[in-house]
Amino acid sequence: MADKVMLTNRIVLRSIMPLFKILHEEDDSLLKHFLTRFEGVIQLAVKGTDIGAYVELKDRRLDVVQGIHPSPDILLPFKHAAGMNALFTGGIPVFGGFPKGLTKLGLLVKFVTLLLGLLILMPNVNPKAPEKRLLKVKMIMYMVTNALSQLNKGGDEDMNAWTAKQPDRIYQMSVEPGGPAAYLRVKGGKTKAGRGLYTRKAPFVHMKFNGLDGAYKVLAESKDTVSATADGDIKLEGSPEYAGNIGSFMMRIQDMLMPPKK
Amino acid sequence: MAEGMTWSVTDGDKLTQAEVYGEVLSQLGDRYPDIVALTADLATSTKIGRFGKKYPERFINVGIAENSMFGMAAGLALAGLRPVVSTFAAFTSLRSAEQVRTDICYQNLNVKIISTHAGISFGQAGSTHHCTEDLAVMRSFANMTVIVPADGLETGNAVAAAMEWPGPVYIRVGRGFEPPVNKTQDYGYAIGKAITMHDGKDVTIIACGVGVLQAVRAAEVLGKQGLSARVINMHTIKPIDRDAIMQAVRETRRIITVEDHSTMGGLGSAVAEVIVEGGKACAFRKLGVPDCYAIVGYPEDLYHHYGFDADGIVATVGELMRLEIEEDEDWEDEA
Amino acid sequence: MPLTQEEIKGLQKKAWEIRRAIVETTYTCGGSHIGGSLSQTDVLVALYYKYLKVDPGRPEWEDRDRFILSKGHGGIGWASVLGDKGYFDKALLKDFNKTGSPFGMHLDSLKVKGCDASTGSLGHGLAIACGLALGARLRGKDYRTYVMMGDGELCEGTVWEAAILCAHHKLDNLTAFVDRNGFMIDGPTESITTLEPIDAKFKAFGWETLDADGHDFASIGAAIEKAQAVKGRPTVIICATVKGKCVDLMEAQAPWHYGGLNSDLRDQALACIDAHYKSLLG
Repeated sequence: MADKVMLTNRIVLRSIMPLFKILHEEDDSLLKHFLTRFEGVIQLAVKGTDIGAYVELKDRRLDVVQGIHPSPDILLPFKHAAGMNALFTGGIPVFGGFPKGLTKLGLLVKFVTLLLGLLILMPNVNPKAPEKRLLKVKMIMYMVTNALSQLNKGGDEDMNAWTAKQPDRIYQMSVEPGGPAAYLRVKGGKTKAGRGLYTRKAPFVHMKFNGLDGAYKVLAESKDTVSATADGDIKLEGSPEYAGNIGSFMMRIQDMLMPPKK
Repeated sequence: MAEGMTWSVTDGDKLTQAEVYGEVLSQLGDRYPDIVALTADLATSTKIGRFGKKYPERFINVGIAENSMFGMAAGLALAGLRPVVSTFAAFTSLRSAEQVRTDICYQNLNVKIISTHAGISFGQAGSTHHCTEDLAVMRSFANMTVIVPADGLETGNAVAAAMEWPGPVYIRVGRGFEPPVNKTQDYGYAIGKAITMHDGKDVTIIACGVGVLQAVRAAEVLGKQGLSARVINMHTIKPIDRDAIMQAVRETRRIITVEDHSTMGGLGSAVAEVIVEGGKACAFRKLGVPDCYAIVGYPEDLYHHYGFDADGIVATVGELMRLEIEEDEDWEDEA
Repeated sequence: MPLTQEEIKGLQKKAWEIRRAIVETTYTCGGSHIGGSLSQTDVLVALYYKYLKVDPGRPEWEDRDRFILSKGHGGIGWASVLGDKGYFDKALLKDFNKTGSPFGMHLDSLKVKGCDASTGSLGHGLAIACGLALGARLRGKDYRTYVMMGDGELCEGTVWEAAILCAHHKLDNLTAFVDRNGFMIDGPTESITTLEPIDAKFKAFGWETLDADGHDFASIGAAIEKAQAVKGRPTVIICATVKGKCVDLMEAQAPWHYGGLNSDLRDQALACIDAHYKSLLG
């Protein structure tokens, strides 16, 4: 059975950390313009392992790369995967040694703004501005579809069993009309998370959110799909059984990313 | 049922495919006093004799002379009558291909042809009486409409619809004992309009004739395996329902055709042409009789032998599902 | 009633014009089945200018008599007659064989008014005629159906299939002609495949058979009138004709089954035709 901590870590590194890129691109504040002057690599890693990912800032671009950079400008070493997970799931991060490069202040401030930006994903953070609400919806969509794929690739047995017998199928979610969209492609045990609308084939299950408000209620406020459907916030097209299955996996991911119960 | 039709086959499920068409034709005889039925010593085998019993003066049995039968049909149509000709598919499409093309299609005459014992439905008779080429031949004739009904009820519908359809029509049926796939005749049959027998999203099985029942059965098996198969009854091969095909390509990306005909030139080829012209890639397989003269045997055994019965369809779907169909197939998550 | 001398003279004048038209059109179109068109001309003229109950102003008239040229390659000769009868503007014949023209070597019933059936592939016309004649009976119409076959065409098995059917249905409203000019493309019919005795063959198939001189209107007329009176069986009139009739250089010459004319040959052919009719008509 796949280790729950390592699965969560996989989601942290591959589904959540890449959201930095969206935060960077969507942020048009003065601070960003100020901070773009700073270039460099910020590495997050589990000490003594090759588990990690780094943020690379260069030419006003931000990239998130999986793996270990040979010479990062800032290094945040964690004692174990759970310690790293905590930084992103509302727990207390456990470092495995003293971080390096903290004197590179500009870079550090940039990283901290990115981390703070992720707070928008927290259930208790409910921005009022429509563009912030849209950003939250979009980030959750991207993160969830990607995390579903990580669940499969990370060896979650239930997910593996679910994907194994399926032919080429698209599980699509989208904000209607014309809003952000993301999908999970499943085929014979393989999965791929993608952004936008899959155009090569009709979706097998399509969760259509009724505008930003509908999407926000379901994705950000965890409104259950039964009442959301009744209220017209979401329209489910396609197999109800499989829609139910993917809904359960989404709940599983949500639980994995919740702060530990006190 | 087409609007204004006065006929009805109440016991359609009790009659064989051929009997239904014989019965429908005799009923249409009242409505269309200009129908003249012709056959070439196959009144009993094709069941067109049923019409002959009711209207002996409008029934012509030419003896074993198919070529002249089609020529006469052209003459009768030129005289303002509505000839309905029935013989075995092999004789219509091979022996009398020229008369059908030159005398009937070239002049765009109102002749309706019902060809029986098509495909390998007369399996025991051997290749002289098999006909796995007729769709390829007939659909290449300009002005010709080509119909392959799924069962007896649909044959009745097709024959009735053909009476109101302009120009020559080729209706192709089996040996006449094929089990029905439709429960009723009132399902909105229209020439050129494909019928979705079973909706699905993973793969589309486009079938005609006996293939439809096999496809519906396959879809049931596939459903138990968790696969969602769409079944389209493409009863009209020409003009073909392009929209139904392209919708299936867009929505399911995997297409299998099923027909009791050579895989060259029939339904599979007609569907392939539409797909290629549509410009959207998809995985595609044609099921039917391969490029050979079929072995002798009972039809159901032959359908199985050549892999276009329900089992064969299920196996092909499995194969198609495993196929990597994207040129740029990659399973890296976007992040 | 036998044709009067006056009627015969009128038909001869018509045949003169038609033969000239065939030569002129052959010259403009680059090539035609001129030999067989010239051999069939007198029978066609007798039909269209005397016996056929037709109305060029109403080509679709239901009760018209039908004519089928089973030897469809005689299309240029048939079109010359139809144009002269007024089914269409004769001037259109200058486009014969040209790209996009309604007129090809074998006439198309959907494009040429007055053409009752598309023909060209040999051995098809008699079965179509059989259907038309049977159709008349079924519809209670009293029109007659005429069909002209070539002699070489009699090699086709379908002719005899249809002959059986015409006799079986006792189609006395059907008259067939055989344009017995003695040639097929490759040479004299009897040297290639023996067709004789043609009359005995048709007789054995249950037909009334008549012989006629296919270039003598009195003979043609008498045979047609006889055929019209026959009851209970179809009639075939075997017309003795000359391939390339009236053009010396073509008469009974196998190579003139199909050919083109330059202006010299055209003038030569026209002169031949004119001389023939001048001596005939005085």
